[in-house]
Amino acid sequence: MKRQKENIMKYVFLICACMSILFVALICIFLFANGLPAMAEIGFADFLLGKNWKPLQNQFGIFPMIIGSIYVTAGAIIVGVPIGILTAIFMSRFCPKKLYKIIKPAVGLLAGIPSIVYGFFALVVMVPIAQDLFGGSGKGILTASVLLGLMILPTIIEVSESALNAVPESYYEGSLALGATHERSVFKAMLPAAKSGMLAGIILGIGRAIGETMAVVMIAGNSAIMPESITSGVRTLTSNIVLEMAYASGLHEEALIATACVLFVFILLINLCFSMLKKKEA
Amino acid sequence: MKLKKLLVAGLAGVMMLATMTGCGGNSSDEIHVVSREDGSGTRGAFTELLGIAVDDVDNTVSTAEITQSTSVMMTTIAGNESAIGYVSLGSLNDEVKAVQVDGVAPSVDTVKDGSYKVSRPFIIAHKDGLSDVAQDYINYILSAEGQAIIGEEGYITIDDAAPSYTASGMSGRVTLAGSTSVAPVMEKLADAYMALNPDVTVEIQQSGSSAGIESAIQGACDIAMSSRELKEEETAEGLDPIVMAMDGIAVIVNKNNDVENLTSEQIMKIYTGEITSWSEVE
Repeated sequence: MKRQKENIMKYVFLICACMSILFVALICIFLFANGLPAMAEIGFADFLLGKNWKPLQNQFGIFPMIIGSIYVTAGAIIVGVPIGILTAIFMSRFCPKKLYKIIKPAVGLLAGIPSIVYGFFALVVMVPIAQDLFGGSGKGILTASVLLGLMILPTIIEVSESALNAVPESYYEGSLALGATHERSVFKAMLPAAKSGMLAGIILGIGRAIGETMAVVMIAGNSAIMPESITSGVRTLTSNIVLEMAYASGLHEEALIATACVLFVFILLINLCFSMLKKKEA
Repeated sequence: MKLKKLLVAGLAGVMMLATMTGCGGNSSDEIHVVSREDGSGTRGAFTELLGIAVDDVDNTVSTAEITQSTSVMMTTIAGNESAIGYVSLGSLNDEVKAVQVDGVAPSVDTVKDGSYKVSRPFIIAHKDGLSDVAQDYINYILSAEGQAIIGEEGYITIDDAAPSYTASGMSGRVTLAGSTSVAPVMEKLADAYMALNPDVTVEIQQSGSSAGIESAIQGACDIAMSSRELKEEETAEGLDPIVMAMDGIAVIVNKNNDVENLTSEQIMKIYTGEITSWSEVE
């Protein structure tokens, strides 16, 4: 009797575990089954490298969006990574206990704010500031990059901090014993040892930045053009989908699903990098 | 040693970024064009009526900022002195200024008598074999009471001599799906109808015109709401369109903008990128 119960529960757990795999598989099948024929119809080169996105004239080139996603993500890395890593180092090694009690939950809270709230904040606060500073509309790569940099901070900080904390204390002590200062020990002994863990955090952050939608769509300007300057409007892969999904029909709709395919491949590559790093670390 | 190099490189990067953005700045005389996304009913009507789209080719300048929501459009215009955009007359409020088109200010009266040119129909569409209760709801929308509600919401009624409606006492469920532009007034209509016929439930899903039409064709909803005319391929599926109201599209600018009047040709040139500065239209 007891044995039977045990077995039943085992299968319940197994089914639960299979569910997530099943959903990933279903999403994969849906995306590629709908996206690939559309890509073939448009022509793979025309779709991926075409510079004109005019769905009503049957021009479906998503190259500006691919570039847009890469620019905005790169900008987010430039803004978010230095701040994130230095914050993690501070929290792990320099922070007074009292301050830590404030910073730690604050970072956690930053991760919990819904992206639409970030977007609205950026629209009413950051966009006017950018307008005053740089002229133009205030919407574009720069604003989107700064906002995304903020949004990926918690991911980078949390992962980097735990990577730093996981470095054996003996590294630090050994460095001190050799006559290095506290700062030197942290930057020269601890930091290199935690490098791959921190990289993993950065990659997770990149994944979040490239997939972010609601916040970006409000402040990126969304012009489907090759960006000319850092303040020019930009459309990312995600915002292209969310912008036009409601009204799209026929090939237009399929082209949007194909856009999702491309995004999915990007995310797959990022995850692949992440798991390779993890393996190296282990 | 290495740390210092890193710091210097970082600083150089920041400085480069700063100079690059310095070049991107532009004067506030430049017109900042804001448009809706491709496929939106509002954009379709706007571009067609003003000659921005010719023979189904939409010539909207590619640097135009794109947004998919009325509220982002309003916030953008309200916060940017050099911006121009357009919204449905029913969503217009005093955060922004509506300009006159060819000397005519947008209002319910000017749209109704045809002197304000930029207007479009709100359409409800259904297939043959509509249920009695859904037919009764359509009768209500087109009745004097229903049209009165449409007028109160700032939209333009189609029939001032509509017959008055008497509650049928029917019971059942009516589902509508479609345009997010039509949905707000439809919700008011549904509330009033349900007050008269307490046994009927009216359900409204906001999914965008095309998605609503699609689900009406497939039978997933009784009535589709559309803010654009039906396409041929859609009427071929057996959908029967009924105009329930008219909506003006107001061309809006920032309150601090001195421009009061634009000709339709000027608006067309602004949106196709021929006119790029405000001094050209004053």
